[in-house]
Amino acid sequence: MKSVPAGNLRAGIVRGASAALLLGAVAVGALWSLSTGGRSDVGFGDLFRPDDLARTVLSDIRAPRTLAAACLGINLGIAGLALQAITRNPLASPAILGINQGAALGLALAFVLPIFGAVGPELMAILGAFGAGVLTFAIAGGFGGRMDAMRLILGGVAVGAFSYAVVRFTFTLEDDIARSVVRWTVGDITDIRWDATLRLSAWSIPGIIAAMILSQRFNLVALGQDAARGLGADPRVTLLLGTVLAAVLAGVSVSVAGPISFTGLVVPHLARFLFGGDHRILVPAVAGLGAALMLLADALSKVLTAPIEAPIGAIAALIGAPWFLWLAVRAKGFE
Amino acid sequence: MTRPLRIGLVLLTGLIAAMLVSLAVGAVAIPLSVIVNTLLDLDGPQQDFIINRSRLPRTLLAVVTGASLAMSGAIIQALLRNPLASPKIIGINSGAALAVLLSVVLAGGVPLGFLPAVAALGGVAAAAIIYILAEVRPVSPARLALVGIAVGFTADAGVDFILVTADTYDISAPLVWLTGSLWSRGWSHLGAVAPLLICLMGVCLLLSYRLDIIRLGSAQATGLGMHVRRARLVLLTLATLLAAVSVSVVGVLGFVGLMAPHIARLLVGGAHRTLLPVALLVGALLVVIADAAGRALVPGIEISAGILTAIFGAPFFVFLLLTREIEARS
Repeated sequence: MKSVPAGNLRAGIVRGASAALLLGAVAVGALWSLSTGGRSDVGFGDLFRPDDLARTVLSDIRAPRTLAAACLGINLGIAGLALQAITRNPLASPAILGINQGAALGLALAFVLPIFGAVGPELMAILGAFGAGVLTFAIAGGFGGRMDAMRLILGGVAVGAFSYAVVRFTFTLEDDIARSVVRWTVGDITDIRWDATLRLSAWSIPGIIAAMILSQRFNLVALGQDAARGLGADPRVTLLLGTVLAAVLAGVSVSVAGPISFTGLVVPHLARFLFGGDHRILVPAVAGLGAALMLLADALSKVLTAPIEAPIGAIAALIGAPWFLWLAVRAKGFE
Repeated sequence: MTRPLRIGLVLLTGLIAAMLVSLAVGAVAIPLSVIVNTLLDLDGPQQDFIINRSRLPRTLLAVVTGASLAMSGAIIQALLRNPLASPKIIGINSGAALAVLLSVVLAGGVPLGFLPAVAALGGVAAAAIIYILAEVRPVSPARLALVGIAVGFTADAGVDFILVTADTYDISAPLVWLTGSLWSRGWSHLGAVAPLLICLMGVCLLLSYRLDIIRLGSAQATGLGMHVRRARLVLLTLATLLAAVSVSVVGVLGFVGLMAPHIARLLVGGAHRTLLPVALLVGALLVVIADAAGRALVPGIEISAGILTAIFGAPFFVFLLLTREIEARS
């Protein structure tokens, strides 16, 4: 028997240190997010010895928002990871493939048309997300077994543009919805309360578990179509399961916070950079990183433009869009 | 009479008919006889205010901007040899929108006369990124579209950030404008951009034969005595300016610059001396129809023209994606 090679040991140490840093980042992000907000008199010190006012502010206003930010990071990060795995495309994410916009469309239909309203906004968002995902994959040829990288991205952008136009169309017809137009186009959790946060967080743990169950299939897809099939995992089944997972997580997120772009794109890349390509490790890593990043984004959204609060989605896009540009210039497989 | 000329005349007739319809529909429907009376100042009932103050300038603006976007798209598609290219896809529209919005936030808005210049600056900056990439390191058309989309996303992120952090009073106007709308556009807007756009389009029409020569390939074009790089640069700059200046007054009318050249190519083929004028008519027709339909669909409510062009344009884009073979190399 050979002893553990030094390289593996070093990789293990790096991985352990990264995991510890990640947990630290989540904790720091959570504390920062909790200690900032509209009431500047409730600060970091009040986290540990709150008086009555501070306790109310913390438990009724800040805690649900902080938890929502973390759960959005988890949901969107896992959704992005699943999409990048099943499409084998580094540019895939809920926003780029039109899935977020599809969810927004489902939501808008639920508000405007009574028939769809009966289905419930959350389920409509999931259905819209799923429909958009299937449509994009069909355009890319994914169900024929061969996904065209360029058609996937351009098709997704077109599906997203269409859904978005229809969403704006419904805004135009309904004055009541139009007032919150920014919220539904950028993504915002400023006024979130416990009921919405609980709806969101209810899906985060099942989402992580489902992604863990699928992680081995994701690894097989990464080996290539033929290898995956040879090892007993039909890539088309993985494609469908991954789409369902991404649609549920993105749909729920959009129904609570509106479409937040680029979180689902950036987080999996960072996780791969830190933890390598094994999806069994990537799933928890993405969950942790997504939570940490969105907590930081939430805190930034409160302090960056104070006293006005910027929606968290605007902060995420401001960070994520240049990243996408950089990826687009460098990504392989488009020549 | 040649076929392109016949098609051109049919389109021109259609455009005039669409303009009359556009004058007639809206919150208050106006009969044709009243329109003719008003326009020609004849005896009989007139509707001076609605037609001359509101609907006539915006209809003319729809014609000019639609034609500009279509011509911009046709030139960009030809030079990049990319059927999926358009001013929106390569980020010009979003860059111009960001520049205009920045001028509102940072400088409290610029006088209307300078707005086209600000928008042009933003459009050229966005386009420069794409062009530099295409010139320095030859890339596939697909990659170019991808990078263009990414540039557009980045500019859009800036637009969103400004919109949501600005004071609510300031943003309501840009919000309407950004969806691509001719709502409340008047003679002053038309005056600010129309002379410039018409001049630019005239120059493009004069240069259109160069597009046909460039299509022969670099070697042939050089052999025919043409300075290919310079011609490309001039034409791309003209195309960028056409799109960016249009955006400065009507916002982002998505997909017009993509659809119009393709429809024109189906009608008269790929020779640019005939393609450009026909694309121009098609683009004008599309925007006039979108604007009129936006007013007519639900009386009393305005649906932005940009929403309608996107609802029809996005499926059209997917159709192109599925049917056109993308040339492998630019």
